[in-house]
Amino acid sequence: MPGTSSSFASLHDVELCARAAAGERRAFGELVRRHGSAIRHLLRRMGAQAAEADDVAQDALLAAFERIAEFRGEGTFAGWVKRIAARQYLRRLQREKRLTAIAAEEGRDEADSAGGDAEHHMDLEEALKALSQAERLCVSMCYGAGLSHGEAAEALNLPLGTVKSHVKRGLDKLRARLAPSGDDRADAGSGVVLEGRRSNG
Amino acid sequence: MADLDFERRLERLFAQHPEMPDSAAFAERIERRLDRGWNLRRWLIGAAGVAGGVVGASQLVMSNLFQRVESAEQSARVLSQGLARVTPTTDMVSALSGGYGVWIAVGLAVLTMGVFAARLVEEF
Repeated sequence: MPGTSSSFASLHDVELCARAAAGERRAFGELVRRHGSAIRHLLRRMGAQAAEADDVAQDALLAAFERIAEFRGEGTFAGWVKRIAARQYLRRLQREKRLTAIAAEEGRDEADSAGGDAEHHMDLEEALKALSQAERLCVSMCYGAGLSHGEAAEALNLPLGTVKSHVKRGLDKLRARLAPSGDDRADAGSGVVLEGRRSNG
Repeated sequence: MADLDFERRLERLFAQHPEMPDSAAFAERIERRLDRGWNLRRWLIGAAGVAGGVVGASQLVMSNLFQRVESAEQSARVLSQGLARVTPTTDMVSALSGGYGVWIAVGLAVLTMGVFAARLVEEF
């Protein structure tokens, strides 16, 4: 269908999802064009190497196309696919027996990871490197993919308390690494609704 | 409160990401894989429809259809003779009443099954 790609560019995600659900693969392609980078970045932030992140992102997007009729428009399309991608990445880690090792690892010593960088504004990628793999996974799943603590615990096959402590330790390290932002103060009273559902965990 | 602020900030940071330089190529790869899967599925189900049609048609042919056709042919001949007395143009009826008519019908049935199966794939 010539010329349809440009017409898709003006459509909202919800309309594109409806068209993709009707079998229009080009509509789904437009969704990939819009949100593919976000999904690939999330997987890298979870600890995947670039090529592995791309593989998982591809599989997750193909799975999303197969299941697009299940997407009811509750939340964003990107959020929905991110959750699929995060779970697929965990399944891959499980399959390759890497998850057990990650889950068993203890958090790194605080002293060696939060070495007084708070004065500098580090980007998230750099800051995440200070976290243990387990902390990184838990924080990324909860704050990047929008999973609740309970959902993350279920996906990681870990006790809820363990996930909560990984998240807490991860947040402490990130707080020490990421310089305070003026936006924090600006947003404090703005009533922005958190997209994640961590409190129900 | 500070915790909540930091969590909000972290969510914003996670939501921010530079566009990947190969994002267009990545999307094209996905589209290609979707197309390939779709075409493969269409061919497989179309082939299954044609195979089913062939089996069905052969079952019809292997049964005593020929005898029935012969008796039908005789009836048709009688009918066409009767019709010939009434109207002079009954060539079409007599042409299709022979063995060729059966094979044409079988071929059409097989084609229809294949097309129908492929159509079903497109719908669902």
